[in-house]
Amino acid sequence: MKKMNKRWSALAVTCSAVLLTACSGNSGVVEEGGGDSGGSGESSEITLWAPFSGPDGPFMKEIVDEYNESQDEYTVNFQIVPQTEYYRTVDLAVNGESNMPDVMVMHGDQMFTYAEKGIIRDLGDLMGDEISADEYHPNAIEGASVEEALYGVPLDIHPLLFYWNKDMFEAAGLDPEQPPTNREEFIEYAQALTNEDENQFGYVVPTLWPQEFIFPTIVFQNGGELYADGEVQFTSDAVVEALEFERSLIDEYAVSPSDVQQDGEVTMFLQGRSGMHMNGPWMMKQWEDSGLNYGVAPVPQLGTEQEGVYANSHNFVVPESVDEAKLDGITNFLGYVGDNALAWAESGQAPASKAVYESDEFQEVNAQSPEVAKQFDYVKFGPDVENWGQATSPLMEAVNEVLLGQKDAAEALEEAQ
Amino acid sequence: MKEAKLPASKAKKERLSKFTSFLFVLPYLLLFLAFLFIPLVYGIYISLHDYNLLSSVQPFIGFENYATIFNPDSAMNSLFFEGLGNTVKFVIFSVPLLVAIGLGLALLLNSIPGKLRTFFRTIYFIPYAISVSVVSIIFLWILDTNSGLLNMYLMDLGFDAIPWLTKQPFAWISLIGATIWWTLGFNMIIFINALNEVPEELYEAGAIDGASAWQKFIHITLPTIRPIMLFVIITSTIASFNVFGQPYLMTRGGPGDSTEVLLMGIVNLAFEERELGVASAMALLMSLIMIVISVIQF
Repeated sequence: MKKMNKRWSALAVTCSAVLLTACSGNSGVVEEGGGDSGGSGESSEITLWAPFSGPDGPFMKEIVDEYNESQDEYTVNFQIVPQTEYYRTVDLAVNGESNMPDVMVMHGDQMFTYAEKGIIRDLGDLMGDEISADEYHPNAIEGASVEEALYGVPLDIHPLLFYWNKDMFEAAGLDPEQPPTNREEFIEYAQALTNEDENQFGYVVPTLWPQEFIFPTIVFQNGGELYADGEVQFTSDAVVEALEFERSLIDEYAVSPSDVQQDGEVTMFLQGRSGMHMNGPWMMKQWEDSGLNYGVAPVPQLGTEQEGVYANSHNFVVPESVDEAKLDGITNFLGYVGDNALAWAESGQAPASKAVYESDEFQEVNAQSPEVAKQFDYVKFGPDVENWGQATSPLMEAVNEVLLGQKDAAEALEEAQ
Repeated sequence: MKEAKLPASKAKKERLSKFTSFLFVLPYLLLFLAFLFIPLVYGIYISLHDYNLLSSVQPFIGFENYATIFNPDSAMNSLFFEGLGNTVKFVIFSVPLLVAIGLGLALLLNSIPGKLRTFFRTIYFIPYAISVSVVSIIFLWILDTNSGLLNMYLMDLGFDAIPWLTKQPFAWISLIGATIWWTLGFNMIIFINALNEVPEELYEAGAIDGASAWQKFIHITLPTIRPIMLFVIITSTIASFNVFGQPYLMTRGGPGDSTEVLLMGIVNLAFEERELGVASAMALLMSLIMIVISVIQF
């Protein structure tokens, strides 16, 4: 009997070991192509870091591989760092003053912090024949700038997007090709789509992520700002109204279920029990894989004043510590990406370079990317404040409690201010 | 001559044997130094500096980080003590259940026939081998307010849906339930081994004296397994103090910040805000509290 027990526990231990290794398989830097080290001279190899550990990784790899084949002078060594560990890895490299990449992809909302600390380089001197600011959408350039100085070369802008379930639209007697464009239509459509007996809703209001994108979007559309004149504006009328509007979708209009949990809105959209949905362009693969019959469009104007949508962006930045001898190669590579980023659009993103988003091929690449680019003209980014993401955490807690019906909007925002 | 040689070779042998023993300890010692001792000392060093990961200088500031934590007006103070409060709540709710249910299951399994026992023991132990992310995803699906398995059944039976992860006290109940399902197997295995060590003669003697099953449990089983019980209580307390993954993945600290445990705050401070100095000070204070509690339990 004893022997048997031992065997069983050994089996259990093995299972756990297998599971553990399976789960940790994702960590660490993954080398992706390039890197035939030794062959070429030191200065011609450029190391690129990016957090594209999701389905977007292969598209960037494709661009890099094609660049490496297109010329012999420079080799880009593309390394993917898992998204969840990306900035931690960057920070530790900065702190240890070693192993820094020559170029890296950085989100727009992180650039202020790194520029202020003198970690990334003002790229003004790289602008010229190969790259120039006017080759990109002006809002992308603004997003890549810190206090008028250009610190990044834009790759894409990724704003919030609007998705809808065409089958549910059809069943509710709505035109499946016609998404709502303003608040009135949105509420009207949502009411038509809601059937509480069937546990089916017009729009499921998330209470956590991606409210970090949705809530600021409605605030901007209300003509408000979350941050102005050096302080947060959480108690301004535009902010309070935005939160009250979202709450009204749950209690007054009853087009959303209450007590939605983390990712609950995604589950319901995938199950065909939520007619409309708002999320970032990165969700495309998930919708495609599930076989959902969905449409995609710019976010309707849910605020009362103006068009606007909250966005973040990917930009190429160069560390201050870079070897000056590599700058020519970096400029050459970034110039190439600007002209040849169509592959990036295949991931559902919209490259910010005019050569791509104004091209005919771009309109055909998929249904989503052109809709993303339609919003370029009125995107709004997070303010230039150190650790803005952190500064909003009391705000997001207030949004969470109000949308869960556990606090009054004005009161909760007062506490967060 | 012969006699003089012997002690020498004996001493040599002894030295050799000591050296061999040392070699056996060496791997652990190296791991201990590399992954525990050196990081601990380095952590103390960092906690005495204004250590922002991205700053080029990290000035020495003595105990200022600790002073900030204890200054009631600072944001660090509320971050630390609110987080600590939530962690302590989790410990108080989870440890008694983990110990009591672990022991109960062990007793139950010990009283069923051998083959079945091995089968159930494996079943109950399997969750322990799963990583916290998988556990959290399983429970997110089961507990989803609007489309989860559990609420589907409740609604079929005519009850209202329960917001398992978005309202208190359900959020705590869910987190603790998931933790029990996940880690119970470990305590159970330890208790089963402890129960097997209880001498059969004691029960026989008890039976002759006419002791009931309850009396045998109270007067024979419990006193005999006392040292193991202590071990289980202490390891469960330490594990519960280190709670991070379940609330991080299942509730994101919500509703509001009611399940935002201390480790979530510390990790956030260290790696999102990059303030390693204060974060290290908090982590060290947390370890200190855990050490004190463990000593009290002894």
